[in-house]
Amino acid sequence: MKIACVIPAYNEAKNIAAVLEKVYPLVDELIVVDDHSHDKTSAIALNYPVTVIRHPINRGQGAALETGNQYALKNGADIIVHFDADDQFKSEEIPVVLAPLLNDEADAVFGSRFLGHANFPPLKRYLIMPLARQINRWLGVRTTDPQSGFRALKREIWEQITITNRGMAHCTEILFKTVKTGCRLKEVPIDVTYHHFGQKISGGFRIIKDLLLQKFSN
Amino acid sequence: MFFSWQQLLALIIITFFTTQLFKQKRRKRINGSEFILWLIFWSTSGLAIIFLKPLDRLTATLGLSASGINILFYLATLTLFYLVFKMRLHLVRLEQDLTSLARREALRGARSQTNRATPRDSDSK
Repeated sequence: MKIACVIPAYNEAKNIAAVLEKVYPLVDELIVVDDHSHDKTSAIALNYPVTVIRHPINRGQGAALETGNQYALKNGADIIVHFDADDQFKSEEIPVVLAPLLNDEADAVFGSRFLGHANFPPLKRYLIMPLARQINRWLGVRTTDPQSGFRALKREIWEQITITNRGMAHCTEILFKTVKTGCRLKEVPIDVTYHHFGQKISGGFRIIKDLLLQKFSN
Repeated sequence: MFFSWQQLLALIIITFFTTQLFKQKRRKRINGSEFILWLIFWSTSGLAIIFLKPLDRLTATLGLSASGINILFYLATLTLFYLVFKMRLHLVRLEQDLTSLARREALRGARSQTNRATPRDSDSK
């Protein structure tokens, strides 16, 4: 079973080497999608046994993930893992996320920071995430982590999903579309080391706006 | 029929935009359906300005407390909101097209380094 890992990266020259060093022994193919970084992200990544795809213009994380997915599917990946380039996720948890897929207990596995011991900033834990979870519930998604970027899905599920939200709304979109396929979905606990706050409240509103615009434009 | 100076000003502005519209059409900068849409919009606006008094009477007959010009403003605001919304949707579609183009270009230029020695390999040598 060929396991591919897609890592979207934008101006991650500082972290990308550490991430690639840890991740590449754990998967069969590592795909870095450089979303038109202004630093040396691509150059550094090319020192590793990876495939580097560079967007000619910046298109956002969702767009980068879709680019990586398309490449991985075309190259025969059976499972595609999404992992962040900012060194916040723990690479040793990749096997934990993959296990239910390899044991055929699930078709899609999402890492949950709420099932693990992730150290959330209070605003994120008590306001942003509960709000995001509520919005997901309105969309029929009942996962504990509404915005996890650490996920692994089988090929046949990815083939039914096209990520159209190029911004951060892609997390909700992927969850929603995965649920819609009716596949076996499982959450596993993951830990996160926050180097910075990440999304703010304004980011949450942007996600809602993007989801609505996407809905009407289709 | 006598017009107030505000009505005259409005009619001059409408005439200016209508002339521009015809110029754009002649230069083929807008397509037929867009031309028709804007022509209807400016013609309706012009007629509403010319027949402001009858519009006032119509508004009163309908039982609305606002005057004709207020109704025009409400309608104009609603129309603007609708047009802005349509433009946002159009922008989203343009963004999607742009992403598809960027993706196609990026996938064509994908570079693999699978045959290259990793830093760990070179360290161990």
